[in-house]
Amino acid sequence: MKKYILKRILTSLFTLLAILLVLFILMKLMPGSPFNDEKLNDDMRAALYAKYGLDQPVVVQFLKYVGGMLRGDLGVSYNISKNTPISQLIQTRLPISIQIGGMAVLLGAVVGLILGIIAALKRDTIWDTLATIISVIGVSVPSYVFALGLSYSFGFRLQWFPMLFTTTDITGSSVLPSISLSMFTMASIARFTRSEMLEVLDSDYMLLAESKGISGPALIFRHALRNALIPIITVLAPLIVDLMTGSLVVEKIFAIPGVGSLLVNAIQSNDYNVVISLSFIYSAMYIGIMLVVDILYGVIDPRIRLSKEGN
Amino acid sequence: MAQAAVTRVKINALNDVAAVNAAFPEHTFTEKDFQLKANAGEIQIDTNFASQSFWKDVRVRFFRKKSAVFGLIMIVLITLMAIFGPGMNDYTYSGQELSQKNLAPRVPVIEQLGIFDGSETISTTTGSKTTNQYEEKGLDDVYYWFGSDNFGRDIWTRTWEGARVSLIIAVAAAIIDMAIGMSYGLISGYFGGRVDMIMQRFLEIANGIPRLVICTLLLLVLQPGILTIVFALMLTEWVGMSRIARAEMLKLKEQEFVLASRTLGAGSFFIIFREVLPNIIGPIITQVMFSIPTAIFTEAFLSFVGLGIPVPQCSLGSLINELYNSFTTHPYQIVPPIVVMVLLMLSFNLVADGLREALDPKMKSM
Amino acid sequence: MKNARSVLAFAMAAAMALTATGCGSTATADSGAAESTATGEASAESTEATEASSSALNVMLETPVQSLDPQVATDGTSFEVIADYTDGLMQMDAKGAAVPACAESYEVSEDGKTYTFHIREDANWSNGDPVTANDFVFGWQRAVDPATASEYAYMLSDIGQVVNAAEIIAGEKDVSELGVKAVDDKTLEVQLNVPVSYFLSLMYFPTYYPVNQAFYESCGDTFATSPETVLSNGAFTLTSYEPAATAFTLVKNDSYYDADKVQLAGLNYQVIQDSQQALMSYQTGALDITLVNGEQVDQVKDDPAFDSRGAGYLWYISPNMGSVPELANVNLRLAMTFALDREAICNDVLKDGSAATFTAVPPQFATGPDGSDFSADQTKFADSCAYDPEKAASYYETAKQELGVDSFEFDMIVDSDDAPQKVAQVVKEQLETTLPGLTINLVVEPKKQRVEDMQNGNFELGLTRWGPDYADPMTYLGMWTTGNSNNYGLWSNADYDAVIDRCSTGDLCTDPEGRWSAMYDAEKIVMDEAVIFPLYTQCNAEMINPNVTGIEFHPVALNRVYKNAVKAG
Repeated sequence: MKKYILKRILTSLFTLLAILLVLFILMKLMPGSPFNDEKLNDDMRAALYAKYGLDQPVVVQFLKYVGGMLRGDLGVSYNISKNTPISQLIQTRLPISIQIGGMAVLLGAVVGLILGIIAALKRDTIWDTLATIISVIGVSVPSYVFALGLSYSFGFRLQWFPMLFTTTDITGSSVLPSISLSMFTMASIARFTRSEMLEVLDSDYMLLAESKGISGPALIFRHALRNALIPIITVLAPLIVDLMTGSLVVEKIFAIPGVGSLLVNAIQSNDYNVVISLSFIYSAMYIGIMLVVDILYGVIDPRIRLSKEGN
Repeated sequence: MAQAAVTRVKINALNDVAAVNAAFPEHTFTEKDFQLKANAGEIQIDTNFASQSFWKDVRVRFFRKKSAVFGLIMIVLITLMAIFGPGMNDYTYSGQELSQKNLAPRVPVIEQLGIFDGSETISTTTGSKTTNQYEEKGLDDVYYWFGSDNFGRDIWTRTWEGARVSLIIAVAAAIIDMAIGMSYGLISGYFGGRVDMIMQRFLEIANGIPRLVICTLLLLVLQPGILTIVFALMLTEWVGMSRIARAEMLKLKEQEFVLASRTLGAGSFFIIFREVLPNIIGPIITQVMFSIPTAIFTEAFLSFVGLGIPVPQCSLGSLINELYNSFTTHPYQIVPPIVVMVLLMLSFNLVADGLREALDPKMKSM
Repeated sequence: MKNARSVLAFAMAAAMALTATGCGSTATADSGAAESTATGEASAESTEATEASSSALNVMLETPVQSLDPQVATDGTSFEVIADYTDGLMQMDAKGAAVPACAESYEVSEDGKTYTFHIREDANWSNGDPVTANDFVFGWQRAVDPATASEYAYMLSDIGQVVNAAEIIAGEKDVSELGVKAVDDKTLEVQLNVPVSYFLSLMYFPTYYPVNQAFYESCGDTFATSPETVLSNGAFTLTSYEPAATAFTLVKNDSYYDADKVQLAGLNYQVIQDSQQALMSYQTGALDITLVNGEQVDQVKDDPAFDSRGAGYLWYISPNMGSVPELANVNLRLAMTFALDREAICNDVLKDGSAATFTAVPPQFATGPDGSDFSADQTKFADSCAYDPEKAASYYETAKQELGVDSFEFDMIVDSDDAPQKVAQVVKEQLETTLPGLTINLVVEPKKQRVEDMQNGNFELGLTRWGPDYADPMTYLGMWTTGNSNNYGLWSNADYDAVIDRCSTGDLCTDPEGRWSAMYDAEKIVMDEAVIFPLYTQCNAEMINPNVTGIEFHPVALNRVYKNAVKAG
């Protein structure tokens, strides 16, 4: 098992390095330049390229970047916030995205699980239909429609929550964005939980457990849910990364200083360093979570653990 | 070993007795050995419990599920409307009439009932007011069934036109996804070992880069349009499909029928595409149905970022994004595309759910 | 209602606490740590903000600040904020004229090539240092230093004509040779290559702002990235700011020399990209001033708080005459410009008060020697630019005959922003309806890409804009000289080049009236040849709290100035 984990970590690091290289090449392919104000001419642009070392070959830039990264230096922004170190930008923005995304994941996962379990246990009753309707609406309505609707009704009409994100009331002003973000997660988890639970409830070992006289909550949570949880975690993992790395749409509507809008703005203004750094963080989170899920698999499911140790 | 020897002998025709005899000197065959035994009279067919073909079973199970049938009907209806809707009145999707902009919905006959009569209530910063622009402008014979937008374009026509574009994009992207992702997953799963290792690392890299970065780059490099969007969606969506195909392949490749086919000398690609593929078609179709709504969503997101279909063409996503700005002023404008989009997503999800249950024999007993 | 709110808030707080622990186990360790620091910072900030918000002005911004470094910033938002806490030598009065600020008085030499500014004795930085002539010398030298690579360096060279500026930018001379020197602590002397009639009005442009050298050097690379790394010598001081922040605050600067006249307690900026959210926030009273999108005008047009103000930008279509043979035909260009119904674009689609424009230099920013607006008369080129479908049709026929073709197809590149896309759709419709056989395909691109394509001549038609950098028509007319990088259409006319040359560096520099009328002539050449199709001058539709008065709006350089603003109640 230890050998397996070590091997997985090493391949993940290799993958990350490869992703970084691909990102560099992609940035080179990107048409346009970060210095493209109407007011610039070619000489001035050349001066700016020289200043930031963008006139050097890609390989040199890449090696320099990796070198800087190992020292914790991610370069500076060219455009979004001129000459600001990227690490500073990320330090101020990523925590906000992680927090709102985290709240959304938690809310989505918990409500989704509950809905899914109810739907599975009360199959083909009105509860099932209700839970299905809620979850289908959740995956069918774009999040900005939710966001605007919530903001209009609870922020503007009823004034229960602030309409915009403020640092003076982080908890209160995170409520509406978190809810709008959580809808998709909630719906996906609910649907998935339902089908997994149905499969598990129908399995032989559940029959065995039932015939052994186990019943009620113990049966559902200890035996059924635990087994249904493995595939659910697989579905949840990439959703966590997506939510934690911010959503442009919700950030735009609630004026949240998160990383989602930062990435989109950076892409559109060719702010190479910001795009590379944020994409890299995204990749690192994604691969990190996948790694954790893989290892967790082994912990939760003995069959996988055994087969991997066999290798 | 003996079997291997048999396959090496060239036998031109099944009834070439001489060739077979030469190949198996230890036996002597006659013509009769190669003729079918006429035993039709001996075969008994159980008519009480007739065996049903798998697909017939699926069909029955699918149509037993009301929500799935509802979904299917809605998809058919919306597709029909997407084909015929834009032609049902005289407006075109891009034709502007600036003097008739922002008119509320007005439908002949129904307007007598006091609804859809072209009047609207605008909530302004100084209180709300109700107006009927048709009457104020003297447009007695003008009808916009879903209202008109900021340029005086007919929202009815644009909604169905948008549904058409969205459907084309989503279905095309899903089918191409399926072809690529499925082949990738099947090949990776079948060969295993080093091939699998390399293919999975590549997949991990492709998946590790945020989609938006890839999509944006593509849309910037290529001329924006339906084809480019399909291409961008395809590049980002095939990963899920390949995962499923690979998992199924890993499950099936050790099974007896694959082993049998291999011993009979079938090539790898024959086994992958002729033996295994038909057996995993169920999960694949289900995944395609799920990936259609995802594609519609992704396209809508690209519109939101300003990288969607170029104006004045429209998709459901770009319509919602465009009319979204009028949400607080003329809320009726954004309702039709949202309703159609939600119905479409809902229907595809319901049908996919129904298919999954119908195709999955494990669910049979429930 | 109150109860429901607190219950939900409590639930969310609980959820948050769980998230923090939940994160630790699934995400990487440093993301968890980063989260806790952020919460710490935020709560520290929250106390500051509540103190400041009492009678401070709440202002909505559409885009975040790109840079607080006066020599690096290039966008209007950054300029507005920098000017809130920094004073240049001169400032704008309510009408946009240059009046003394940091400079108490100034003298201009006989030949118009030497300016001497006397800096106020009571002008101080917020760290207590006096504002000296050296601060200006340092700031200006930074602006032209190739190491700074300031995008607005040309404000000193091409436009300001400061001695040696161009050579320093090109790397041929050392920054110390720039034609500006500190005669003593409070006297600044500037040498110009040629007399520049609008030189004083450049002094309120942020590129010309002072930088305290000792402070700058103490900040190192972090200069102007946080409240601690900027100094104020203006009406307000920055109290909370993070790079690319969506909310930040300034408070009144009590040590400002003019502090008695500043009535606001401070400014609270809020970046809101969604205009509907902005309007709703305004309605709840959270904002005092906000932009309104054309779609919301129906909601607010009867409200006395609604007004629209010139933003300076001229939007126009640039045909590529250099590489598209059909567009090199002047009759086709004239046909197109006559086919455009600019009033409809402004009144029916934009609705934000933007003004239809029929001149190459937009109105309301450049005032001539006689005090009149350069482009007040919008009908002066009625023979070459108006909405007239019949004329359009007749020019179109001529063009078709001359070119020997019946149909044309052009791609028009457009920014992916909201307003340009709207305008482009109407333009397409108008051109295609009035000129049958003409097809316009819209190609939507992010702005950076669009600008690059136009600069590389990689386009057929382009919808673009230009904002004035200084209050003189030359900021527009200078664009269409042969070889200028903003002459996207690659048009070239020797007569035109000659006139512009005379006006900018030639004999007309010292003859304001002659220069003024020569510029009319130049503009006429541009219009007669339909080098560009002007569309409209952008206005910003805004809601301003009726209790707030005294905000000054300008189309040039600094769009909003709050120094004299008053918020009653």
